[in-house]
Formats: sequence, structure tokens, C-alpha cells
Amino acid sequence: MIALAAIVAVTGATVGLGLYGVRVVRTTSDLFVASRAVTPWWNAAAIGGEYLSAASFLGIAGLQMKLGSGALWLPLGFTAGYLALLLFVAAPLRRLGAYTISDFAESRLGSVRLRTLSAAIVLGIGGFYLVPQLKGAGLTLREVTGAPYWVGVLAVGAVVAGNVAAGGMRGITYVQAFQYWLKTFAIALPACLLLLYLGGLPERAALFGHELPRAPAGGLVVELDAPTMVTFPEATRYSIDGVARRARADERRELPAGTVRLPADTAVPVSEGIDAQRGEQWSRPVSDQGPVSPVFVYSLLVATFLGTMGLPHILVRFYTNPDGPAARRTTVRVLGLLSLFYAFPVVYGLLGRALLPELYLTGETDSVVLRLPEAAWPGLGGELLGALVAAGAFAAFMSTASGLLVSLAGTVSFDLWRGGEGAVSERRRRFRVAALGAIVPPIALALLARGLDISLLVGWAFALAASTFCPLLLLGIWWEGLTARGAAAGLVVGSLVSSGLIFLGLAWEAGTTTLQELLSQPAVISVPLAFATMVVVSLMDRGRAPATADAQLLALHAPEGLGLGLEQR
Amino acid sequence: MSGRTPRDELRDTTEHGGLYLRRLMRAQLGLSLLTVIAFGGLAGSLPLALYLLPGLQEVEVLGLPLPLLIVAVPLYPVFIAFGLVYERRARALEAEFRDLVEPPE
Repeated sequence: MIALAAIVAVTGATVGLGLYGVRVVRTTSDLFVASRAVTPWWNAAAIGGEYLSAASFLGIAGLQMKLGSGALWLPLGFTAGYLALLLFVAAPLRRLGAYTISDFAESRLGSVRLRTLSAAIVLGIGGFYLVPQLKGAGLTLREVTGAPYWVGVLAVGAVVAGNVAAGGMRGITYVQAFQYWLKTFAIALPACLLLLYLGGLPERAALFGHELPRAPAGGLVVELDAPTMVTFPEATRYSIDGVARRARADERRELPAGTVRLPADTAVPVSEGIDAQRGEQWSRPVSDQGPVSPVFVYSLLVATFLGTMGLPHILVRFYTNPDGPAARRTTVRVLGLLSLFYAFPVVYGLLGRALLPELYLTGETDSVVLRLPEAAWPGLGGELLGALVAAGAFAAFMSTASGLLVSLAGTVSFDLWRGGEGAVSERRRRFRVAALGAIVPPIALALLARGLDISLLVGWAFALAASTFCPLLLLGIWWEGLTARGAAAGLVVGSLVSSGLIFLGLAWEAGTTTLQELLSQPAVISVPLAFATMVVVSLMDRGRAPATADAQLLALHAPEGLGLGLEQR
Repeated sequence: MSGRTPRDELRDTTEHGGLYLRRLMRAQLGLSLLTVIAFGGLAGSLPLALYLLPGLQEVEVLGLPLPLLIVAVPLYPVFIAFGLVYERRARALEAEFRDLVEPPE
């Protein structure tokens, strides 16, 4: 009950602040002018607020519980992405004054077609990234109120779409900055208090030793609300709805919906898609026996390192920086703020494995962050901390989903919906219609894709971004020889190869694990292919390099205050 | 013609101006690539090192196996350090370019 109140309060505050902000800030150029007063610290917190999504708040700890410590490469990659952004993109792109990647593509390469192609890819990435946010919302609301999964998905989808359509959340820096601190507080305080309360890590054998996760003294009671396929790591006696049963070691069997009871010290059966790992195996960040092989780790790092710059809702936040050097200062601060946040999810993964082994049976490891406070600290303390975590999780879905939907609606209404614009009121109407329409496919996908991990879905969005917009931005900013045709060819190859491999991996169980891992995280193949395509096609097309390339590069790279950039021309 | 400054050449995007521009871009790109190589060498070799040295798992620091601790904590301050150093160097390169275009009296 407390948790539901906290969620409602966070949602209300976000919607309210957003709507209030709209009265003050009307247009992008107002926003732009007003934002010159925004300091790098505020900007950095706002970027962190928009970036830290369901994948960071729930997904990392969930994936850590499921796969093992190998999941901790994920936050490293999420942070490293900002280093790539800082080194190659932040300052030049701010100087060019392009608001979106589609803007950049058109102004740098002078091709309207390329703009349309980029816009289509923005829809793909944004859609992929919205699904896990909605999925997180469904999961959280079910944990807190017991409502069915689809209720949370539809409710948050509707609130976010309504809010964006009404004009809320449009680049409101201070709201997003507030969300960052709320999220960090909501993940840090429970982590620290729970560690203090428990006096450190319990159950070390299952975490780092030779043990599997086992039912605690007093046994384990798990309610299954749907039939679940599980594997028993050891010969097990258990009961369902009071009827005693037995399973052999390594037996795979479907448990019907009902109440499962495991006696004390029984190794917990694991749901489909989870390996029963002993502690020593589980705690290894990389190894060729578990699910996190070196190939998978490197492909994940490539996708996150290069993909961050291509996420549609991230670049737009950089335009609230007054100039190139300020964009750099902001990005360095983002690195600091993200590092602070990412110190805490690991605590939930470790404690969750020790205290919530039933999640291995149900397969819902993504809910470990939400469940942990009440499991570790029965009573009011746990309930209050649980409410705080739930509120933080909702802040994560709301801010990221809103940022994404603003980008999607903007892309549909400005880049794709052509002809007959003009009047401001017509543009506003189109933006609203686009916002309401763009939320529908992600909602449908979130309802269908219940079994997929939040972090894996986000990994795909990163893979797609790294295989398309990363080469476009890097070559566009640093190489005068890029042509519109080369860029278009690279975008097509990158998006087809990356999403093609992902879908192939879903449809077909590859025999070897390395192949399977490459199919689920294809960046290490698709990114070099996209780069090579852009370079080769541009070289073949050399005569067509835009005549304005030098002027554009000057606008990207000339320091401010010399009368050379866009500001003075 | 002798009155033409680097700024004029740059503004009119002449061939001469193109040389100035490319020099700035090369310097900036060189700095960025150097940072990526240094950082990538450090962070990028870590998965391989942990893979090749499975014995590290037996070493415990603060009650945690060392590899887990290495992945969870010490790289983040390194990110920030690389970011800060890069940001200062990039600013210095821009100051040099400014001196070229607008020589101090």
C-alpha cells in the first residue's frame, strides 16, 4: 500500500512538473535560449535522469542473478558509451546545432532521402528501447499491487503517451535532473541499509563457493500463477498443492500452476533459460563454461560503447549546453554521475541470490530489486524501503519512456509526415497524433515478449544503434569523404545485419553456444560491416562528396568565438 | 594578398583554409584516438585477462572474489580520470588553434 502511494506520488510529480514546465517553455528555441543558464552539473544530472532506464534500475541486478557476475560488464559498457560520446561526438555535434541525428544527416550530407532513412532507424531503435520500459512497468505494478502484468504495461503506456501528447516532459531539464537524484537515492539507500541490517553478505557458499542456491531452513513456498518448465539440478522431493512428488537429478518437467513446496536445503529448480550454477561458477565475470563467454562479453562491450551515441533520446539533451566545451564538461560529469549509480545494482544481485532463490524457479529474476527489501528485512523497514525502490523504478520507466516517445513522435511528425505542414497548430496536432500512435507497437510487443529479459532487449537497441548511427556520426564528423550514398548503404547494411541476426537467433536454436551468443549480441559482426560499407561505397562514389563538406566540417570543429562557427554566419 | 589571415582562408573555405582545418581535426582526432587506445587497452584487455587467469577467483579481497570486485568497482574512477584529462587536452588544442587564427599581440 505504501509502495502504491509512492508510485502514484512519483508519477503525479512527474506529470505535474512536466505540465507546469510547458507553460514556461513553449518552443525548442525558447528552450534553447532559456537553457543557456543551465550549468553543466544540471545538464549532466538531466542526461543521467533520462538515460538510467528500467535496464539499469531492474535489469542489471536481474541479469546478474540469472547469468552471474558477467552481467556486470553491462553497466561498464553503459558508462563507457559516454566516453565514446565525449571523445568523438559531444562538442562537434553541439557546434553544428543539429537537434537530432536526422538533422545531422541532412545538413552534413545534403540529402533529404538520408534524413528519411535515419528517421526510420530512429523508430526502430526507440521502439526496441521502449518495450523493456513498459515491461518493467508491468512487472513493478504486479509486484506492488498484484494486478496482472498487462495492467501496468497499459497504464504506464497511457500515462506516458498522454503526458507527451499534452506537451509535458519536452526537454524539461530540471525534471530530468530531479529524476536522476531520485533514482540514485532510491537504489543507494536500500542497498546500504540492507547491507548494514544483514551485517554483510549471507549464504556465502551459494554466492562464491561450491553450492547451488538452496531452500532456506523452514523450506521454500512458491506460488506459480502459470505452468512453468523447470529443470531440477538434483534429485528432489517436493509437493504441489499438498501432493508429494519426486524428480530425478537433471530432470526437466513442467510444473502446473499452484503452490510449490520445497523442503529445507533442497537445491532450487531453475526455470527455462537459466543454468543452475554453483557459486564459484556464478561469481566469475567471464568463463567458457557459463553463459558469459569472452565473445559475448566483447560483443556486449562493443555494442554499448558505440551504441550510446546513437540512442535517439540522448543526443537531443546535449543541445541545452551553450557551446562545444560546455558539452564536453557536461559529458565528463555524466561519467561521474553514472559511476555513482552503477555502484549499487550489484548489491541487489548478490543479496538476491542469497535471499530470493525462488526467483530462479519462477524465472522472474528481473524483479529482484523490487522484492529484495521486504525479503531481507521483514516488517515496516523493509516495506518502506520496498516503496522507495518501487518509486525509483517508476521514475526510471517514466523518464526514459517519455524521452524516447518525444523523439519518436518528433521523428514521425517532422521527418516522415510530409506535406501541408506550416501552421504551428497543425504541427502540434501532428506531434500529438504521432505520440499517441507511436506508443501502440511497443505496448503490443511488451505484452507478447514477456519471457525476454529487460537487459537483453536493451542490448538489441544498443546493437542496432551501434551498427547504424555510430558509423554515420563518426565518419560524418571526422571524414570529409563521406557521401550520402555511402552513408545510406552503411545504414541499410548495419540495420539489416544486426536485426537480421537477432531475429535469426530468436527463431533458430543454434547448435554451439558461441554462435548462439553472437546471434543474441551481433554488434561485433554488424558494426565493422556497417563501417566498411560506408567507407567503400563513399570511396566508389568519390565525385559526389558534398561541395559543402568543408564548410560543414568547419562548423563542427572550429572553436567558438573566432567568427568561424555557425553562430556568426 | 599578403593581408589575408588564416581566418579569411578558413572562412572562405579555400584550399589553404582546408589545410588549417584538417590540421585542427587531425590533432583533435589524434587526441581522441590516443585516449581510446589507452582506455581500450586497459578496459578492453580486462575480460581476456580474467578469462586467462581463472586462478584469480581464489583471491579474496574485502570478502569478495577479486575478479568480481575488479569488474564492479575500480574501472569507474578510471573512466572519470580519462574524461578529465581528455577534456583539458582538447581545450588546450582549441586554444592553440585560436592563437593561430587570432595571433596574440
